[in-house]
Amino acid sequence: MDESMSENQSRGKETETSSSMGDFSVDAADIEDIPDSETIIEARDLDVYYGDERALNDVDIKIPEQQVTAIIGPSGCGKSTFLRAINRMNDLIDIARVTGELRFKGKDVYDENVDPVALRRRVGMVFQAPNPFPKSIYDNVAYGPRIQNDTDNLDERVERALRNAALWDEVKDRLEERGTDLSGGQQQRLCIARAIAVDPEVILMDEPASALDPVATSKIEDLIDELAKDYTVVIVTHNMQQAARISDKTAVFLTGGELVEYGDTNRIFENPRNKRVEDYISGKFG
Amino acid sequence: MARERYQRQLDGLRSDVLDLATRVIERLEDAVDALETGNEALAREVIEGDAVINNRYLELEKACIDLLALQQPVAGDLRFITASFKIITDLERISDLAVNLGQYTLEGEASVFEDIELRHLGESARDLVVDAMDAYERHDAAACFDIAARDDDLDRACKDATDAVIRELLASRIDEEGSRAELERFMTDVSNLLLTIRDLERVGDHGVNIAARTLYMVEHDDSLIY
Repeated sequence: MDESMSENQSRGKETETSSSMGDFSVDAADIEDIPDSETIIEARDLDVYYGDERALNDVDIKIPEQQVTAIIGPSGCGKSTFLRAINRMNDLIDIARVTGELRFKGKDVYDENVDPVALRRRVGMVFQAPNPFPKSIYDNVAYGPRIQNDTDNLDERVERALRNAALWDEVKDRLEERGTDLSGGQQQRLCIARAIAVDPEVILMDEPASALDPVATSKIEDLIDELAKDYTVVIVTHNMQQAARISDKTAVFLTGGELVEYGDTNRIFENPRNKRVEDYISGKFG
Repeated sequence: MARERYQRQLDGLRSDVLDLATRVIERLEDAVDALETGNEALAREVIEGDAVINNRYLELEKACIDLLALQQPVAGDLRFITASFKIITDLERISDLAVNLGQYTLEGEASVFEDIELRHLGESARDLVVDAMDAYERHDAAACFDIAARDDDLDRACKDATDAVIRELLASRIDEEGSRAELERFMTDVSNLLLTIRDLERVGDHGVNIAARTLYMVEHDDSLIY
């Protein structure tokens, strides 16, 4: 993880009394409740501001453990902001400010005693553009364990991470080659291997396949399905069919940073309750 | 409105399904009329016209498959297309049943037992289909339940008619002096009368199928399907 992150951002405590987005009021019935015993991440009244601009608006959501949750919505709806709020990546943006609660396994991630670097080891992230380090394939995967001084059985752990990322068979004979020499799809799976080498519990993915061709995309989608057996996956995607294909739950954010509907993916795509959600997923809005 | 071409295709499918239904209902009316009046020319028209319905059905089936494959519909659009996909099959089969009625007309006398009110049964079955398609057009969920309930009445009327045919058959004295050819003709008429009653009952079942798919389309309620 990036150790140079500035951690100077703190959570504001002020309470928003009302929303100026009257046309975007949320029907509480549209947000599925998840039993506490199955919840790994929970947001309550979560707001994120960039300066004066409100990017997330009173988001309430419970994300279930060891399932794939897709976050969809039009550009600028706050879906990436929400993802980055989960492991405090917004801390890196000076003007970002967070209010409300965001809990990981019941603990407030914005509590002053939480170490964001430690948090990000448990809540890893994979970005839109593959970003392997300019190091060997092996060193990319070993990077996390090494910076944690946790190098016991390192060869074994690197192999396991590469196997879990469905990359081992393609790179096992060339582990010393540079990660940046791999194809785009392989680089993305290398980044996933790097993320899971430190044994996280949650993997956040921000449009992980949007830069990949259809074959590489389908490999990533298959991989996400496999990862959900061991990890909780939260994925932001612009591709609604991808959300429909790979996720168990879908959260729909619409303009104004509001979570408008959340529930089982098959229900959202077959019978959404909110008319604006229906128009959005049908491609008639957004 | 975004996706205007897609929206035009959806509107076109809706209009084409309703048009197919109109043609099928007209053929059903003609078939019942031919049966009642013994109009063999009209019966032949019904039989020969089935090819047009079959071709139209295949065109609409392809239109549904194309929409599913190329537009990846979801939500209400998905329910509309899948419901339409099933409904056109029911319409095509109603047309096949109308062909059956036409064949019976050509083969003999539907009025072998005059007390059996085939026209009444035919109109009841037709009304179910008409009302089911009306519910489809107007997105009327309440009407779907009403159609399902009314089909029970048609089923009872068909069973009563079948029982009446059996009673008439038992009561009738086959003329011992009649020719073998007359006997065979009589048996064909009775057999076709029973098949007619069964086919009209099936038309009603297809009307209920249409209502069931319409209810799913309108309210995501599959209670009439299963």
